Amino acid sequence: MTTEPAIRPDAAGLASPEWGGFDMARTRGRGWPDVRRSFTTAVRLGWQMEANWTDPVLFFIYSVAKPLASALILVVMLDVISGGAKPEYRAFVVVGSALWSFVLSGVSGLAWMILDDRERYRMLKYIYVSPSDFLAVVFGRGVARIGVGAMGAAITLAIGVVFLNVPFDVSRIDWPILVTVMTLGVGSILAIALLLAAICMQTRQESWSYPEAAAGALFLVSGVVFPLSVLPLPVQALGLLTPLTWWVEGVRLALFPGGLTAIGGPGSLFTELTGTAGPGAAMIVLVLLATGAMATLGALAVFRASDRRAKDRGLLDQTTGS
Amino acid sequence: MSLPAREPARPPGAARRTNAAPGRNAFVYRPTASPQEAAIWTQRQVALTNLRTVAGRAYPRVTGLLREKSWIFFEILLPFLSTSAFVFVYRALEAPPQYIGFVVLGGAMTAFWLNVIWMMAQQLWWEKSQGNLELYFAAPMNIMAVLFGMAFGGFVMSSSRAAAVLVIATTVYGVTFAIDQWALLIGVFLLTLAALYGLGMVLASLFLMWGREAWHLTQLLVEPVYFVSGLNFPVGRLGVLGSIAISILPLAVGLDAMRQLAFADAAYPIGTPSPAVEALILVAMTVVFLVLARWTLVTLERRARQEGRLSVRWQ
Repeated sequence: MTTEPAIRPDAAGLASPEWGGFDMARTRGRGWPDVRRSFTTAVRLGWQMEANWTDPVLFFIYSVAKPLASALILVVMLDVISGGAKPEYRAFVVVGSALWSFVLSGVSGLAWMILDDRERYRMLKYIYVSPSDFLAVVFGRGVARIGVGAMGAAITLAIGVVFLNVPFDVSRIDWPILVTVMTLGVGSILAIALLLAAICMQTRQESWSYPEAAAGALFLVSGVVFPLSVLPLPVQALGLLTPLTWWVEGVRLALFPGGLTAIGGPGSLFTELTGTAGPGAAMIVLVLLATGAMATLGALAVFRASDRRAKDRGLLDQTTGS
Repeated sequence: MSLPAREPARPPGAARRTNAAPGRNAFVYRPTASPQEAAIWTQRQVALTNLRTVAGRAYPRVTGLLREKSWIFFEILLPFLSTSAFVFVYRALEAPPQYIGFVVLGGAMTAFWLNVIWMMAQQLWWEKSQGNLELYFAAPMNIMAVLFGMAFGGFVMSSSRAAAVLVIATTVYGVTFAIDQWALLIGVFLLTLAALYGLGMVLASLFLMWGREAWHLTQLLVEPVYFVSGLNFPVGRLGVLGSIAISILPLAVGLDAMRQLAFADAAYPIGTPSPAVEALILVAMTVVFLVLARWTLVTLERRARQEGRLSVRWQ
């Protein structure tokens, strides 16, 4: 029979310092390295929770099927009406629906992290009282879902180009614009996702559908699969205030220069206000930066307020039977 | 051998129970000589217990219809928003007005499909996660009665959502229906629901075995099924894929028949059967799914018991 050693090797780091006193730094944490470690651990955990429920082939099919089916619905609708006579509109809907899988996965990722850990696994309170930075853990867990969404988006775009005759030329891609708008856009998605996570922290069992409801509302006003000009003017104004509208427009501009615009065009509020047919790259980046910054600041403020209220009302360990 | 019925001992001072006493019914009180005799139920008791199970399982869904106000908001809002998005796609394409009607009808039917996959297919997995499933199996009732109760409650719940989406979207987007055969339309609608909930019962039985994959696979049954069912366009446009969908998916065949009947004046693509034939397909689907649900439930319950999966949570 073997006996367990008094001090396990992996616990050595938890012992007193060599000089025998109390290390105050341990209670304060190590700042950025701790945040980074919490984040990477959360990313790893999130990825395993997302991906290890099945074999890689089924996981790949699962990740791609949703965005691809969404794109195919639109492509068939387009073909039914135009008979394939509008190839530029096909590129428009394929890019829009591919990008939307980012939004769906990002927005639901953070909100469902809160609900999963509070309602299903009942671990949220333990995560909260651990030395990890709570926000870093929330973002880390959400990154895994965004990764799944990114994979779905990339495959949908590839299938659109290869099988659906989406006119695409790699040499025409405006890489600086693409990188800039993708960075700002993903930041905006995370901000909206954080806002929903903050709301879900306060709400009860029906919260599982909140991310989808929010994404559905944004889908309608962001010019994802149809130009904003078909919407009533007040709804167009709402759409212009959303960073996602500018993100999708920026990516379209970078991938298909000279293609259809969702923001401008005849009958659009944008053209009425500015007198131009559509926004240029500089305007897209600037407006995306401004609306994204507003969304981020607002989301952080709401999350902090929600965090305080959750602690005050004991919401971190409530389970509502959902 | 029949055992003599005997009144069990009463606590001193307690009133004698009579046939009119509260609780005196086939379920909770029957004088028997032994526990063994009490366990032998009459056909009437079994039938009444199962009916009561159906009513009991349907109750929270029917009551929840009005009790949880935010559910009403979100379950109407969600299908309405996605329906609106597709309406605007057709408007951007300057499609004929009937196509907007196709989208509205499809949007209303999504309420039923979402209910079938989230609140039928996934329900037993959900109950397992909450620790209720073992109670279901320990209770003296047929688990098929639970599934019927879930289906009936879900049908009532979703009908209100679908009706709301249909009325709101029809009003907002100015959809005009042209119906010649009301009886057939209503019949097809009811058959579609019967087949849909039958499929939901089959899936619920299958998901009894699964852990987290049930959650993920449920998500997989949304957009891909919408696509192959022709939710926003005539399914005949999908060619062979549409034909396969019509032969296995109640949503596809039901929607196609309802569109042909609700928009009788629309130019409809050829290639799909007539509504009468599609009604027969739905009858066949209903029978097959109910029999299949019974078989899968018994088979997979036995297997789940053998593998100890009925009470495994968070897997």
